Amino acid sequence: MSAPTRDRVDDTPPSGTIRAPRRLALEPRQEVSRGVLVAVPVLAVLLALIVSALFLRLTGHDPVTVYRVMVRASFASRFGIADTLVSATPLILTGLAALVSFRVRLWNIGAEGQLYLGAVAAAGMALLLGDRLATPVNVVLMIVAGALGGMAWIAIPALARAWLRTNEIITTLLLNSVALLFINWLIFGSRSIWRDPDSGQFPQGQRIPAAAEFPRFGTTRVHLGLLVAVLAAVVVWLVLTRTRFGFRMRVLGDSEDAARYAGVPVRGMVLAVLLLSGALAGIAGAAEVGGLSRRLDPSSLAIGLGYAGIIVAALARLNPGGVVLVAVLLGGVRNAGTALQSLPDRVPMEVAVMLEGAILLFALGSEVLVRYRIQWPWSRPADDPAQGAGAAEGTDAAEGAADPAPGVDAADAAESAGGAAG
Amino acid sequence: MNDSVLAFTLAAAVAAGTPLALAALGELITERSGILNLGVEGMMLLGAVTTFLVASATGSTALAMLAGAAAGAALALAHAALSISLRANQIVSGLALVIFGTGLSTYLGRPVEGVPLPPGARITRTSVPLLQDLPFLGRVLFQQDLVVYATWVLTALTALYLFRTRPGLALRSVGESPATADAMGLRVNTIRYVHTVIGGVLCGVAGAYLILARVPAWSQAATTNGIGFIAIALVVFASWRPWRALLGAYIFGLALRANFALQAAGVTAIPAEFLAMAPYLLTILVLIALSASDLRHRAGAPEALGLAYAREER
Repeated sequence: MSAPTRDRVDDTPPSGTIRAPRRLALEPRQEVSRGVLVAVPVLAVLLALIVSALFLRLTGHDPVTVYRVMVRASFASRFGIADTLVSATPLILTGLAALVSFRVRLWNIGAEGQLYLGAVAAAGMALLLGDRLATPVNVVLMIVAGALGGMAWIAIPALARAWLRTNEIITTLLLNSVALLFINWLIFGSRSIWRDPDSGQFPQGQRIPAAAEFPRFGTTRVHLGLLVAVLAAVVVWLVLTRTRFGFRMRVLGDSEDAARYAGVPVRGMVLAVLLLSGALAGIAGAAEVGGLSRRLDPSSLAIGLGYAGIIVAALARLNPGGVVLVAVLLGGVRNAGTALQSLPDRVPMEVAVMLEGAILLFALGSEVLVRYRIQWPWSRPADDPAQGAGAAEGTDAAEGAADPAPGVDAADAAESAGGAAG
Repeated sequence: MNDSVLAFTLAAAVAAGTPLALAALGELITERSGILNLGVEGMMLLGAVTTFLVASATGSTALAMLAGAAAGAALALAHAALSISLRANQIVSGLALVIFGTGLSTYLGRPVEGVPLPPGARITRTSVPLLQDLPFLGRVLFQQDLVVYATWVLTALTALYLFRTRPGLALRSVGESPATADAMGLRVNTIRYVHTVIGGVLCGVAGAYLILARVPAWSQAATTNGIGFIAIALVVFASWRPWRALLGAYIFGLALRANFALQAAGVTAIPAEFLAMAPYLLTILVLIALSASDLRHRAGAPEALGLAYAREER
């Protein structure tokens, strides 16, 4: 399953003289054509499908059948498409959450936990309000509560990052585990208002009042959350491209020093961007509660929606429009996971998660094609016919595949291994 | 808490801290080369499920551990290819490992969920002669299994390697300043590949140990359970130093075990979920405290951590 390792960038000093690289080399692209931008993600998905097919084959399932069932379940019927859109709704929002933070090279990996807390806040709001208010008011208040819940959950990592430069990757990541324990406690470990008091043996969340349910479209399960998510994508796009805030995000993303010299309030921006990211993830949680589960339900919330948002943002190359498209694609993959279990040979639904991971791996790997033009060794005049002859490897390399430099002889390598001492 | 309960709890903490220590050592070695691999959790899980499957098929502990190590190495190699050769974002690539590793190991483990390990393959206690009879310390440290002792040796070797050998010096220079290392004639990318894979091997072994010694049957949820992420935090906590990583792992082992100890002692005032949060919250507090006390020096992090190195772009 490992990605190709041979076709790598040359890091070997061409012993002594300066020459053009003789093997595979990467040349930064000055501009990227539209064709490449579309072709590369498609290629990545195809490769992921091939690798996953290999695993399916090895474990005794027929990949063609599996993929056919997946397509049929998610994209081929009206209800299939509707369910795909339902799955895509939270992914759009968590994808946007990853997008806004990654754009400034802040790494909020905690959308998962922020989503849970958004769900807790939104469900709490709905349960507190009861049936007193009209649905539109309820819905708005729940979304606000969700956003605040997500923001609250990222507040400490964000403050610590802004003022103390505490690594936000680890703090946001660890809070995901804490958040999961927290919602489990609310439902299974306590007598909180979130828990249905009548559920004895098998505790579950208290159902939110009917007035707080997000409206659904027709007879499908597609709910208002989808509209909110798409609207959020538009807003994020507008903020990024049309506002001073978005401009500052771009400057900060390019270089923190440049931003500081240009008078951008760096701390405030870091804080604001992370809070915005948390808010988007929190809204995803609110939409799941209001539109889908209609109660705080740990098992239907904790399905890796936050982590999947990172895939969505990466595949979309941090582009808000792309996030919507990729979320629908990935939503289809996830939605199909359940359909697979009805197959006669019971393919585990985790194929979907495996496929997700594989897509992300290949998307990352193929990103290199967008940023660089590959120079094949045979497309240049070779200036050194001796290249590659008598390739002796001189390092303590444990992995043969990891050893890239057949051009250096043992003496060179031994010398270079000792070179750092000097 | 009387003496024997304390000894028992500390011994359990050492055992619980061992997979953490192994994974943290692996991540430490990888990060010393300048590569950040957030995929520890994925490598551990895949290592664990591979170990379980091989142990079930062959009954051999050694083969199973080897297979687990190989699985961790394979995922690490993917990360290396992506982040070194293809210059992908290391953070996203590491998370891709987590997602892919979790998906694949759940997929592979689904048919055997809840199936116990063959008893012959289980790692059992091997007490150290003489030392096991030491008062108190004997019970805490020397009535463990071989992997626990091996972890100490490994920690010592890692410390020696890093600070007392030429390849170790080369490793550190690549992590601090790849451009300089390159100019000195070091093969930056080779060194990074090798140490990323070594890190993967250790994470795979950590997963193998979890399933062979700590968890009675295959269960996706109960196996790693976020330990991989704590291991990453431990490396920061340890300022990238092996002995501190080992000590930190035992402290966290204690935090992981405190749950059981308190329940056994009949403390019910604090819900189990909150006790289980303690290790994570503790890590976050420590990280924040560390960064507050050491704003300038990044707490000993390798200077080039997380950055791809491209000679023509420097």
